[in-house]
Amino acid sequence: MKTFLKNIVLLLIIAVIVGEVVVRVTHAMSDIPQRTIDEYGIQKYYPNQDGYWKGGEHKWMINRLGWPGELPKSFDNLVLVIGDSYIENFMNPNECHQSVFLKQHMPNYNFMEAARSGVSLIEAMEINKQLDSLQPSHTLIYVNDYDFFESIVEVKPMSDITQISLKKNEIIHGKMKAPFFKKILYNWKLLYYFYNRFPLNKPSKEEKETILTEEANNKVGLESKDEVFKLIDYIKKSYNIEFLTLVFHPESNPIIVEKCKSAGFNVITLDSSVDSKSWSFDHDSHWTCYGHERAAGQVANALKIVYR
Amino acid sequence: MLFNSLEFFVFLPIVFALYWLIGSKYIKAQNLLIAISSYVFYGWWDWRFLSLILFSSLVDYSIGNALGKTDQKNKRKALLWMSIGVNLGFLGFFKYYNFFIDSLVHSFTFFGQELSINTLNIILPVGISFYTFQTLSYTIDVYNKKLEPTKNFVGFMAFVSFFPQLVAGPIERATNLLPQFSVKRSFNYTKAVDGLRQVLWGLFKKVVIADNCAKYANMIFNNHTEYNGSTLLLGAFFFAFQIYGDFSGYSDIAIGIARLFGFDLKRNFAFPYFSRDIAEFWRRWHISLSTWFRDYLYIPLGGSRGGTKMKVRNTFIIFIVSGFWHGANWTFIVWGALNALYFLPLLLANKNRINTNLVAEGNYLPNLKELGQMGLTFFITLIAWVFFRADNVSHAFSYLQGTFNGSLFTWVEVFPSTILILLAFFLVIEWLGRSYEYAIENVDVMKKPVRWSFYILLIVLMFAFTGEEQQFIYFQF
Repeated sequence: MKTFLKNIVLLLIIAVIVGEVVVRVTHAMSDIPQRTIDEYGIQKYYPNQDGYWKGGEHKWMINRLGWPGELPKSFDNLVLVIGDSYIENFMNPNECHQSVFLKQHMPNYNFMEAARSGVSLIEAMEINKQLDSLQPSHTLIYVNDYDFFESIVEVKPMSDITQISLKKNEIIHGKMKAPFFKKILYNWKLLYYFYNRFPLNKPSKEEKETILTEEANNKVGLESKDEVFKLIDYIKKSYNIEFLTLVFHPESNPIIVEKCKSAGFNVITLDSSVDSKSWSFDHDSHWTCYGHERAAGQVANALKIVYR
Repeated sequence: MLFNSLEFFVFLPIVFALYWLIGSKYIKAQNLLIAISSYVFYGWWDWRFLSLILFSSLVDYSIGNALGKTDQKNKRKALLWMSIGVNLGFLGFFKYYNFFIDSLVHSFTFFGQELSINTLNIILPVGISFYTFQTLSYTIDVYNKKLEPTKNFVGFMAFVSFFPQLVAGPIERATNLLPQFSVKRSFNYTKAVDGLRQVLWGLFKKVVIADNCAKYANMIFNNHTEYNGSTLLLGAFFFAFQIYGDFSGYSDIAIGIARLFGFDLKRNFAFPYFSRDIAEFWRRWHISLSTWFRDYLYIPLGGSRGGTKMKVRNTFIIFIVSGFWHGANWTFIVWGALNALYFLPLLLANKNRINTNLVAEGNYLPNLKELGQMGLTFFITLIAWVFFRADNVSHAFSYLQGTFNGSLFTWVEVFPSTILILLAFFLVIEWLGRSYEYAIENVDVMKKPVRWSFYILLIVLMFAFTGEEQQFIYFQF
């Protein structure tokens, strides 16, 4: 028995080492940038990092300000592009970022992205406030329905992102969730690979069905309507929205879009149905390079009208 | 709990450690641990179905003992039918009730009559066909006086619910497995290493071969109208390897795990795709089920001893019942009937046992005749698999119609080169190891560094080419 156990342990150790090498060489898992929380409570990335996306076909980069993508050559006529993982866009090469496509459409303006996966609307507003020192001429915040729900503690409490408590009228900054575990996980690629392959909290069939039902219900009506409306009113009251445009993802809830319009926000609603080709990856809802190009085209057309 | 899940990778070492900590001196405690672990393993899917296994065990244990106490022919017959009734009753209700109701309603509609019987929302308990046949084998063997009824209920529970083979076989005979629960089982290094090696090969078959083939088989079968004939043929080819990798992989894992606990299970697959005729294929595919039907259905019906009519009747019965065992769908019945049609000419010409030796025995490569025979057997098996995989019979016919036309001779529209290279690697290993119980059994003769490098290679291939996790196909049967 001793020899058996000894040999198994030895074989496993060798397998783990070889497996780690293979996962790293083949880029079976994406490199994950390290995060930090700045003095204003904003979660961003440590500056000047880079790494490979899954498959190793392209690299992502974090600029010197701690945001993904390249910084513009000049901050004159600056337009900020704020959003979540869609704008963070690690799954596409740098030349497929919104800022790059927008610049092609509007060469007189400079575009800078400030994005992080999981950013809520209220967090995007806070990021915009902190980046005010760059004196942007305009800000685009890319949003979907979830960014509204995830902004409100009373609707969807999430400790790792910045939210607002509507009851207390107070902004609650997000905390890093299990930073030590994440550090180990992201650096031990094989473990990260297994973590993804065998997720510990995989939703059950029933849970998936509940999510789909909720999504379907939200398409026709709006869950937590009062809270979402209060959030929109709060943002209008507490932040400067004069030079800000909300860019809604395709198929966003029209009740939210209309409320934002009536509250005085500039709104652009993206429409992917005009294209026969999908904007998204086959197994990932994020936009492909083509999707980004099309989205940027629609945003630029709408912006040109605003600037006219 | 799936063999290729994280839960199982935690479950197995715990049970293994406890089992050998108890030690071979305490057989009863080891059996109790196996029974409890097996119930945990099965209850992980749905604890409500544990009552079915428990009830089935209680019924067959009691009937077995009652059979041991009486020599009255009628009473013994009544007891046997009681066991068959209870076991097949459960199986029939959970697996076939809705099928029969649907078929009845359809046939009445066909004759212009409206029949209003509702189907029920029944969940099929995982592996019910496997453990039902296993317990039935016990009662039938006791009835036939091939086996003494057991007095050890815990051992019997462990036999019925033995977790390595509970949900997808091999379907063990009571005469083989049950006595192993009464004898001392000591840890044997060679046996344990051999078991682990078979587990590794089984996992490779499942995770790399079956799951990757499943991706393309599903894609092609689900959108068959969009592809040309050659691609549809490739889809059937992928399904052939999906089901082989999936099911024989599960059997390898089951046999290997059982060996870790000191048990020997029956072989379930013997390289069926290297068969030279369909009779040989059926001696090599799902052996535990084929032999079960042979011993408990075909031979009692008279086997092939009677005249031509009886041979034809019995062949059709055994193949159609075998098809129906796989699922409540006409596709499985057609699949069974088609195999009967393939088999009958060989049986009637008395040529069903001409290929009993190993193909290309003693040679590295087969000769042209053997190659042609293997190719033809594989090809007709492929056609039968289309019925097995299709959603319904018309889907299968439409698929075959799309396959066998002019477009069969055009280039494939899907060509996943990586998967095809992996399949070629797999086939080479299987071919080289075809004279052994499982393909990599002979790796043992290699020097340690070479052997270990091969194990690492398999593990790395599993890391690198793991397909999307799929449930084992045979769980639904």
